[in-house]
Amino acid sequence: MAETAEANERVVCAILAEQVAALRERMDATAAFDLLWRTSALLSWLSGLLSGTSAHTGHTNPVLERERAEAITEIAEIRRALDDLAFLQAQRQDFAKQIADCVVTALERMAVAEMPAGTSFSSRDLAALYVSDEQRKLHENVLHRLTG
Amino acid sequence: MPTILVLDDSATMVMSLSHILKGAGYDVETGMNGREGIIKLNDGVKPSVILTDLNMPELDGIGFIKEARKIASARFTPIIVLTTESGGRKRDEARAAGASGWLTKPAEPNQLLSVVKQLCPAR
Repeated sequence: MAETAEANERVVCAILAEQVAALRERMDATAAFDLLWRTSALLSWLSGLLSGTSAHTGHTNPVLERERAEAITEIAEIRRALDDLAFLQAQRQDFAKQIADCVVTALERMAVAEMPAGTSFSSRDLAALYVSDEQRKLHENVLHRLTG
Repeated sequence: MPTILVLDDSATMVMSLSHILKGAGYDVETGMNGREGIIKLNDGVKPSVILTDLNMPELDGIGFIKEARKIASARFTPIIVLTTESGGRKRDEARAAGASGWLTKPAEPNQLLSVVKQLCPAR
């Protein structure tokens, strides 16, 4: 009976590992990042064109000059915000994938039951897979909550 | 232009770091793990600064730093570790291997550029 329950648990772990691995693949947002960077590069190009156009035409219409200067400032601000957003999102995505990797590895190990007879995959084994302090803190919080 | 070598197993991170560094006036060489970084150095790439992740397949960040320090041209090249690990043990390990500095993710572009510019101003 106990063996059947254990076998069932292994199957559940194997399925969950596949599910999380599939979820991890869906986290890929390379196309969105690529679009962000291309937009940022385009804005930089447009800003250069605006500056160049003014220098070549030599117009001294103060209203146009002011609007041009405002547009260049606005473009620079949006570009900086896009770069910041892309960089932070890339790091968040990277971190989320690392957590998913950790969960997949843990579930795979539990599924194949590589542990010697009479032992099991412990929270210490899980902690050995962590790659960030954030994961360790979360781990400690859960342990504290469950064990008082 | 000074060259920065970027090593990270995340393609998105590599592209993101490259975009920021190129925008600040640096040339960028990239690799997806420590092994690729060592190959670049052995092939004659002479970066002014190296940015490396810690957790990478094939050869991780610590292993890369140890190997890189054996290559004459990279013996004194500043190596900045950019990672989600902020723990003291890993940091000590990286420092002992020869890392010059540490930047914990998530970092902001300004933080990154500030560290890189201190070590190597863009021309």
